[in-house]
Amino acid sequence: MLIAVALAVWGVDAHADALDGVLEVRSAYVSVEGGVFLLHARIEYPVSPAIRDALHDGVTLTVDLDTRIERERRFWFNSEVVELTLRRELDYHAVSDRYLVREVRSGSQKSFATLAEALSDLGTVEGWPVLIEPQLTAGHFRISVRAGVRRGRLPASLHALMFWTDDWHRVSEWYTWSLPD
Amino acid sequence: MVAPGLTGPPAPKPRWRGIALVVLWAAVGVGALLLLAKSVQNSGEFSRLQPWILLLNVVGVVALTVLLARKLTQLVRDYRAHVPGSRLTARTVAIFGALVVAPLLIVYLFSLQFLNRGIDSWFHVEVKQGLNDALVLSRAALDLRVREYSRHTENLAHSLANATAEDVAERVYEERRATAALEMAVYGSHERIVTAAMENPLESLPTRPPPDLVRQVGERRAYVSLEPQAGGEYLIRTAAPFSDSPARADDRYLVALYEVPTQLAALSEAVQHAYSQYGELAALREPLKSSFRLTLTLVLLLAMLAAIYGAIFSAQRLVRPVQDLIEGTRAVGKGDFGTRLPLPSRDEMGFLVHSFNDMTKRLRRAREEATRSQRVVERERERLAIILARLSTGVVVVDRELTVSIANQAAGAILGTDLSAATGRALPQLTAGNERLGQFVAALVVRFGAGREEWREQLDLDSASGRRTLMCACTPQPGADRGLGYVIVFDDITMLLQAQRDAAWGEVARRLAHEIKNPLTPIQLSAELMRRRFLSSMSPQDAEVLERGTRTIVQQVETMQQMVNAFSEYARAPEMRITRFSLNQLASEVADLYRSHDARVEIRLELDERIDAIEADRGRVRQILNNLVINALEALDGVATPRLEIATRFEQGAAPDAGYAVVTVCDNGPGFQRELLGRVFDPYVTSKPKGTGLGLAIVKKIVEEHGGRIDADNRPEGGARIRVVLPVTDSTRSAAGTRERRGELRREIV
Repeated sequence: MLIAVALAVWGVDAHADALDGVLEVRSAYVSVEGGVFLLHARIEYPVSPAIRDALHDGVTLTVDLDTRIERERRFWFNSEVVELTLRRELDYHAVSDRYLVREVRSGSQKSFATLAEALSDLGTVEGWPVLIEPQLTAGHFRISVRAGVRRGRLPASLHALMFWTDDWHRVSEWYTWSLPD
Repeated sequence: MVAPGLTGPPAPKPRWRGIALVVLWAAVGVGALLLLAKSVQNSGEFSRLQPWILLLNVVGVVALTVLLARKLTQLVRDYRAHVPGSRLTARTVAIFGALVVAPLLIVYLFSLQFLNRGIDSWFHVEVKQGLNDALVLSRAALDLRVREYSRHTENLAHSLANATAEDVAERVYEERRATAALEMAVYGSHERIVTAAMENPLESLPTRPPPDLVRQVGERRAYVSLEPQAGGEYLIRTAAPFSDSPARADDRYLVALYEVPTQLAALSEAVQHAYSQYGELAALREPLKSSFRLTLTLVLLLAMLAAIYGAIFSAQRLVRPVQDLIEGTRAVGKGDFGTRLPLPSRDEMGFLVHSFNDMTKRLRRAREEATRSQRVVERERERLAIILARLSTGVVVVDRELTVSIANQAAGAILGTDLSAATGRALPQLTAGNERLGQFVAALVVRFGAGREEWREQLDLDSASGRRTLMCACTPQPGADRGLGYVIVFDDITMLLQAQRDAAWGEVARRLAHEIKNPLTPIQLSAELMRRRFLSSMSPQDAEVLERGTRTIVQQVETMQQMVNAFSEYARAPEMRITRFSLNQLASEVADLYRSHDARVEIRLELDERIDAIEADRGRVRQILNNLVINALEALDGVATPRLEIATRFEQGAAPDAGYAVVTVCDNGPGFQRELLGRVFDPYVTSKPKGTGLGLAIVKKIVEEHGGRIDADNRPEGGARIRVVLPVTDSTRSAAGTRERRGELRREIV
């Protein structure tokens, strides 16, 4: 029985390189327009034949941009001001032979002839409103941004089972900077 | 299990441990369920909890495995050591385990098979092929439209190449209306809009051409793309340069946007959706199977381990009261009636344990009662033993075969043998070398043989040391069956009889002295008077007769006076003058006196130097020695080589300051006649032709006055021997005299 468990775990390890490649937040900054803080970021997502094949097979990739704004405290843990996630989906439209980038919250969608263009669009965040000025009180603030990729649109009932073997899940390091006073 | 936990109230630790274990497992189970529920609701949360869920499961399996291994090891060890209850536990565990594990394994294997086949069936080859065909069909249908719109756009662009600006605007407007395009626009260099016609007149500007379109048209190539929209619609975007030749300087190009008919778009979208779903599932095929396998295996492992552990736990709980009962029974078997078993529950087992506890309580009470009774009996027996030991009366308890069950010290002393080790032995076996005991046993045998069981008689036992007279009574043992045991009580009344005789002789002597002595003097005086008065006046013949007669009278009267004096001496009350003198010296003096008196007899002296001096009446002790020597010398008349031995010896008494001087006078004469041996110290007991017969009687009297004792016997090599024991000091004599007087008193009471 224990051998069966060992084999199953070994099977998980065998697929552990599905999302291999660079996943990082290259740059990020915020601008303020009319009292609204807008986030701009450039993210590099991994590109590999495995990803391309998976997309062509019908797999949807969900990419999350997690943003966390905290107020720094000297002698205690930082207090969280805002935590937001910008979620986008990338999939391949077989009928039209195009890659679709979909904004989950707004439902807007763009199509691209190549995967590179689609990933470039996916890795570009321009003017995403994350904060309004009244939310910032006195003190030092810190913004952290992190990108994540995982296989999306899984049937909910399979979530509980898939965690054993789901290697389609990566998270980048946090990209952190402080807001100027 | 001590007998751990056998006595006293049940130990609370195992129960608390069991409850704690159950609570822990319940908490782990509820925790796992909560995690699962939370993770299903929210995939993000699930990602965060994933390691914890995995850890929890693995910890569960490892913990269960460790617990189970410990339990199984303990069980195997107990089984090999034949610990009570281990076999029952092993059997129960095996049955429970088989009942649980077999269905679990069947369900597991069936589920595994079902899942594998079920998942594989989702990805049937026909399904895949059908989807591919549908996709190709959709593409073909859409391609037809795309090519048609592309060719139309190209033709229009070429036809507009040489037209004036007004004509271009008019033609574009007309063509848009004719082809029902959503928008149609002409761009110049740098994406400058030359003219545009829109389906929706409210929109002033056409949509911005995508970069790849601009780039492709810049290379003088036609462009076409099918763009799926968010609402399931499809747009066909076509573009064509006015001139295909790069040499011409005309940078204008025509861009047209067409909408795919709704029905075709919906069908294509349906195909796309199905294809996408299928691909998604197909990609999940192997991971899904692995996940199912792993999950099922983990669940199976958890269930199996928990079931077996639960089986062992339950079996041990079931068997524990039985083990306690076994331990308790063993303890009771070893005599520990204080065993109390903990009550397991109020079921049948509890009733059994309760009954066991009740039984041990009753047994303990019964044993305490028996112990108490035994102690009482022992105490009574000890008291009886003390009484028997202190009795001067001999007590012997025998059965019909004369086997001794009880014999006190006095019995041994009276019978002249040590009966302390005689218990369990037959009396006839002990008679060897003991004449007195032999006669005693013979007397018993005669009476028992005659069927007499209850009698009281006087027994005379003769031996070399003299005659002993016993007053003996026999009665069947009370409480026992008749004939099984007899209590024989006997008392040595020799001394009592002797004392009675002595008293009688004393009285006789006193009366004789009184009655005879008085007339003797007148007789003697009368005879002498007669002689003086008539002797001178009588004829010589008569005078001679008178002379002879009166002399005879006077001589006989003197003889009678001597005899009366001797009696008087015998009957005289003691009046001693105690002095301290050397016994050895006295003995030497007496020996010297008689050596000179009769040189024919060899008189030997053996004196113990340890006897320094004794406290006694010197004159009377001299009389003792004189009488004994005279008695011996008289006995040696007619012996060829007469020999007389006088020996003194010191004997240490029981008390440290009590010493005795033993004087032994032996001769090599004929010895005492056997029938007279018990009475040689009685007055007038003599085998000699002359003498008063009072010599030894007087010796005995003097010895007794000194608190000593005397006995007479015959030496094995021949000749008489008389032994006199005198206390060395006056205090010892007083104590001995007191004892003797007490003994006499007791005998008188008896």
